[in-house]
Amino acid sequence: MPEPPHDITNEEVQDRPDRRDFLSRLGVGACAAAAVGSGVVTLDFLKPKVLFEPPTTFRAGDPSDYPEGTLRFNKEQKAYVIGRPGGVYALSAVCTHLGCITRFLSDQSIIACPCHGSRFDLEGNVVEGPAPRPLPWLEVAMDSSGLLIVDTAITVAHGKVFKA
Amino acid sequence: MSSLPPLDLVETADPLATPRRVALVRPDLRPAVRTTDEKYVMTFPNLIVREVILFQIVVIGLALAAILFDAPLEGIANPLETPNPAKAPWYFLGLQELLHYFPPVVAGVLMPLLVVVALVVIPYARINQTAGPLWENAGPRRALALAGATGAVIALFGAFKCWPIVVPTAAISLAMFSARGGESAGAFRRAIAKVTLPEWIMVWFAVVATILTAIGTFFRGPGWSFVWPWAQAVAF
Amino acid sequence: MTTLSLDSAFRRLRETDVYRSIVRHGAASTNRNRSLVVFENLFLHVHPVKVREKTLRFTHTYWLGGIALACALILTATGVLLMFYYHPSVPQAYRDMKELEFVVDNGLFLRNMHRWAAHLMVFATFLHMMRVFFHRAYRPPRQFNWVIGVVLLIVTLLLSYTGYLLPWDQLAFWGVSVGTSMAKEAPLVGEKSRFLLLGGNIVSENALLRFYVLHCVVLPVALVLMLSVHIWRVRKDGGVQGPPEESARREEVR
Repeated sequence: MPEPPHDITNEEVQDRPDRRDFLSRLGVGACAAAAVGSGVVTLDFLKPKVLFEPPTTFRAGDPSDYPEGTLRFNKEQKAYVIGRPGGVYALSAVCTHLGCITRFLSDQSIIACPCHGSRFDLEGNVVEGPAPRPLPWLEVAMDSSGLLIVDTAITVAHGKVFKA
Repeated sequence: MSSLPPLDLVETADPLATPRRVALVRPDLRPAVRTTDEKYVMTFPNLIVREVILFQIVVIGLALAAILFDAPLEGIANPLETPNPAKAPWYFLGLQELLHYFPPVVAGVLMPLLVVVALVVIPYARINQTAGPLWENAGPRRALALAGATGAVIALFGAFKCWPIVVPTAAISLAMFSARGGESAGAFRRAIAKVTLPEWIMVWFAVVATILTAIGTFFRGPGWSFVWPWAQAVAF
Repeated sequence: MTTLSLDSAFRRLRETDVYRSIVRHGAASTNRNRSLVVFENLFLHVHPVKVREKTLRFTHTYWLGGIALACALILTATGVLLMFYYHPSVPQAYRDMKELEFVVDNGLFLRNMHRWAAHLMVFATFLHMMRVFFHRAYRPPRQFNWVIGVVLLIVTLLLSYTGYLLPWDQLAFWGVSVGTSMAKEAPLVGEKSRFLLLGGNIVSENALLRFYVLHCVVLPVALVLMLSVHIWRVRKDGGVQGPPEESARREEVR
């Protein structure tokens, strides 16, 4: 016949608090470390390492193609290349508000965003609407054959015109 | 604080004590104060049959909608061509309408975050648990404080020229103040005199959210300009 | 020979050993068997055997939570069927939409139903929240269930939003482009969380695959878990709560 279960005493419940405390802290700590570690590793796993996104540079042609007042829109690269006396500069066509592609309205000589009604002048300054920043200026360089190269990934200071 | 003991006082520190069920019912905090003579019915068939009928109604309604209206499908996605206007799904058009007035950090991040926090806090805010009708036992100080608060909200949104919020805010605060001293007036004023402050705030939130969503969905066209609903097709 | 009516056929079926091994009780013609219908069934036993008659009234809940749940069931059924014809890749995703529309039998019907049910679910969930607020059904002990409800509303919105990209048409692409640009504006974490969500800097094939996984696995699992807790707690807290009872209102005023 099995021994009847005896009442647990208070002393037994609180048996060796030091060892118990230590072990339970060790266990909880190990679980926490494992959780944090796997969280970090998972986040890292989710971060793509190689992106198959289109190249960010494009050829914009000869500087002589851009007399004062010319504006060319490169659709694939979402950039405007604009001629100005003695130089050329490039503007991003991506609205600084929420990333819609702006359009150049030649009759008003203004760049307008179709999404939330932001409007920019030809230097990228916000004329109207909710856009928080002016359109960024993009880097313009010249390659060895004398053609203009625009890099949409690199922004330059507002007002920095490329002089050929 | 209340005069009742906090709950942890009821629990004993003795791990060997046999647990006993102790109920603390505060009539002002509990939604249901059980009445003894309530009538009970069998779940089957009373509730189950109703649930089945409800499900059938939803299925039939949606099937009819699916037969009558086709889900929209436009041309294949083209990252180079932004449609004009570019709209989010309808439940985000209230937010998109806000984006027309406020910088993206405020309208796209801060305001939705505030709404979620406010919703989560609702059941834990004491005023919601015990609130009585807004103007009951209210002196002129409450009227002044509320006038100041509504005035501040109107001024804040007015500074951004956000009329879709200013106008309903003004209308609702007008209704709120007209409820003052309406306990003995006609049926409508007596009804709105019973409304509590949290309820007024929720009415305000629901009305503003509905108006913003409706404007964003039906009244916004190319370049986010104002158009009449019949002047454009709306895709859901 | 006795004439075989439908009734007697059913009665015979109910008396077979096989039937009795599945459904242990007899016909639900007595209150005992009616109780057994509810508590011997895994799915029905979220209900008590008896309910307060008042809770059956239309104005008690307007059945809004029920409508949202019905939508969730319909969305699961139609969604699983749609998955059989869908490839989350560019441009196949869009072609699959065309295939569903013009080639697959009832494909367009299922896609329509999935879309309208999604809209109805968002709408019903929002109305359900309003109903609970104005009935003050969030008060103790239901505070935390209200919070779970808010999370469920967000999960519902996310489900609908991730599904919005899957057709890969202009509407989908630009709706998601605009929406994820909002996330970019959040300080500190905005840019990074957008990159993680889209799996890149722009809405591309990576984003489509990620939204697909979120829409078909991660978010539905989250919804089922949270929904189970939500419904179970309603039961534990004494069933659906309608408008505050008059007696309680009077106590309040006193």
